[in-house]
Amino acid sequence: MTFDICIIGSGAGASPVAYTLAKAGAKVLVLEKGPWLTEKDFYKDELAISLRDSYSPDLSEQQHVIEELYERENGDTFWQGEPTSESGWSFWNGNVVGGSSNFMSGYFHRLKPIDFRLKTEFGNIAGANIADWPITYDELEPYYTKVDKEVGVSGTVVGHPNQEPRSENFSYPPIAEHPIASWIDSAAKNISYHAVSVPRAVLSQPAMGRNSCEYSGYCSSYGCSSGAKGSGRAALLNHAVASGNCSIKPDAKVYKIETNEQGEITGVLYYNKQHRKKRATASIYVVACQAIETSRLLLASTGKKFPNGLANNNNQVGKNLVFSGGGTGKGDFIFNEIEQQKVNQLKQVGPFINRALQDWYRIDDKLFNGANNKGTAKGGTIDFLFYQNPIARAKGSQRDNDDQLVWGEQLKQNLKQEFTSYKTLRFEVFNDWLPTDDCFVSLDDKVKDKWGDAVAKVRIGAHSHDIKVGEYLAKKAEKLLVNMGATNVSSSISSYPATNLVAGGCRFGNNPKTSVLNKHCQAHEVYNLYVTDGSFMPTGGSVPYTYTIYANAFRVADHIKSQWEKSV
Amino acid sequence: MLTNDSFFNKQYKTPRWLSHKLSRRSALKSAAGAMAIAGMPIMLTAKAHANTHNTLSEQLKTDPWLTLDSVINHLLPASPSGPSAAELQVTLYLFSVVNLQPTKQAEIDFIYKGVGWLNGYTQSQLKQNFIVLSDSNKEKMLRAISQSSAGDNWINNLINYLYEAMLAPPIYGGNPNGIGWKWLEHQAGFPLPKIGNRYYELPGQQQIEITQVIKQPNNRLVMERTKS
Repeated sequence: MTFDICIIGSGAGASPVAYTLAKAGAKVLVLEKGPWLTEKDFYKDELAISLRDSYSPDLSEQQHVIEELYERENGDTFWQGEPTSESGWSFWNGNVVGGSSNFMSGYFHRLKPIDFRLKTEFGNIAGANIADWPITYDELEPYYTKVDKEVGVSGTVVGHPNQEPRSENFSYPPIAEHPIASWIDSAAKNISYHAVSVPRAVLSQPAMGRNSCEYSGYCSSYGCSSGAKGSGRAALLNHAVASGNCSIKPDAKVYKIETNEQGEITGVLYYNKQHRKKRATASIYVVACQAIETSRLLLASTGKKFPNGLANNNNQVGKNLVFSGGGTGKGDFIFNEIEQQKVNQLKQVGPFINRALQDWYRIDDKLFNGANNKGTAKGGTIDFLFYQNPIARAKGSQRDNDDQLVWGEQLKQNLKQEFTSYKTLRFEVFNDWLPTDDCFVSLDDKVKDKWGDAVAKVRIGAHSHDIKVGEYLAKKAEKLLVNMGATNVSSSISSYPATNLVAGGCRFGNNPKTSVLNKHCQAHEVYNLYVTDGSFMPTGGSVPYTYTIYANAFRVADHIKSQWEKSV
Repeated sequence: MLTNDSFFNKQYKTPRWLSHKLSRRSALKSAAGAMAIAGMPIMLTAKAHANTHNTLSEQLKTDPWLTLDSVINHLLPASPSGPSAAELQVTLYLFSVVNLQPTKQAEIDFIYKGVGWLNGYTQSQLKQNFIVLSDSNKEKMLRAISQSSAGDNWINNLINYLYEAMLAPPIYGGNPNGIGWKWLEHQAGFPLPKIGNRYYELPGQQQIEITQVIKQPNNRLVMERTKS
């Protein structure tokens, strides 16, 4: 059977296209590498989600090669790759129907107008490939609103200096908040910060055939068993399938996109669950495998007109990959140093903290020693959270101050103290990971996956400016924790990438020489190819990516729909 | 006399799987490890789980499980301050790690090899196997081997499994009735996995091959399998 639309991948970039086109009457095929799980397959199981990484491939079968920078004794530097099967450092984020959106935290902050024109606002930074977007915030705004309604975003608008323009309020009221949210609000007021209520892609009330949140206290990184979390599967693909126009084929690993001599796509080749080679055809093809795998697939899809990979005659595919800059920090509240009422509040499990700071989304501070001497720079977002996983928390209790192992009564005492004497409030800093020539995807020439195909090699060089911004933001967050009465306040800003926050590699832009996609996320070189995951982003912004990927995919879906309607 | 086949082998290097497991990156996002299985019939799985108890009681009569059980009980003994390894069913949990969970063979080999090294050491020092030693001698011997890199790794790995037995969902074999959670005042999430929902029973890519199902005289089905 030939389909109207064939979508490779099924996450936040894929599901809005399947949803929009299937509801419009187009015949849609979704090819997903992983299995098709549902709410009944998700449990609050630390072994499954964290310690055994059960929703991602075994690294001995499917992996990446990660290139890091090393220094010789004479000061020379060189890039050296290491397979993740050897390092154990997984770059997978959940390979199931709905993709990593099943396992997101669902912090749904919008980009802000300045994110669309970073080069114009702040100028070039040496060593970075900053580019303005070919669209404005105003063009994307209606689609953020669409996500609010169709995926389901719970929140409330709180005015603050960097609040982006919005056409409507949120569609769903905020989800229940943990008592510590009010502590953050008070401390923020004391030091003239503006605590922001965090919009979450979690339903606060039943809607659209989904249940509301059950407040189990285990949300971030866990699959949702109530359907409240707005994964692409729960929120969109279920409706797409219900239309009768969308077929989802799980366990289908696409390894090549075929093209003819005119350079148009004629079909995709995939392995099914039994590892047999299969072929699917459609009129329009959409690639949305998450940034690294999308670039890998295009690079692997050579043809007569594309000797360097599909849509890559200008050697732009895989370039300017971005992660999220920033890091984490924390402060402890020691139970015997605070009132019992506050201890009881801290011990509550279930509701969300739901607080962020965006006061420094744009830094304008003479004391900030960044890329220019005016003290202006793009800043970022700070979000607050608790960790819940007990096994991870226990680890470390078996060492004394001299790093010697302890056991027996001492181990019992250490565990009891670790779990019952304090609670840690954590924060995460999100700031731009500047695109550079040292962060890109290519194909490894030695390491293969279990099907014998070359794996993606990822160079992960970060720009030093990202660290400065991250540290600036972390100090602001630390100040809030101190004001709240926390002790042991610290932070760690790193140039290591957050592997679950990845975008770029197939930039959109108006110039085919410097971008892979046009403003509709259609390949400059291939008229029947669209890329709708985070690959399109020339710069990443300073918030988690999923909300923007959803909104942009809805925007592109409208364009594809208009193209498809003209053809029928 | 100590040979190269001991905790004190100077050539010993921490195995890569263990480095991954104990690394900071793993603490942030557990990356190394085994994956899920597909399509295992729930009935067979339930039988296999029930069989774990029976088989363990048999295995506990001989090494390596005799010694492993003794070491584990020494690491977390009975006392008024909290549940013991026996109460937490740590040995049963470890038995399921080796026999039910899709644990890599290299790790299973390391767990077993440590038993030989430990008894080799206690024999060299006290001319007795570990299990027959007094508590104070057990403590001395474990303390001594923990000074070696291999000994530290081996005990540390067991303690990490002790944490899993104490704090993982009870369906995995430890933490009966959530006693580990209760002791540490930890509120578990919900829903929790039941038989058929354990991580290695979820639909996924990796298969465990069922080589044969044997019907015993009492009509119990016993599954023998090899790991993929």
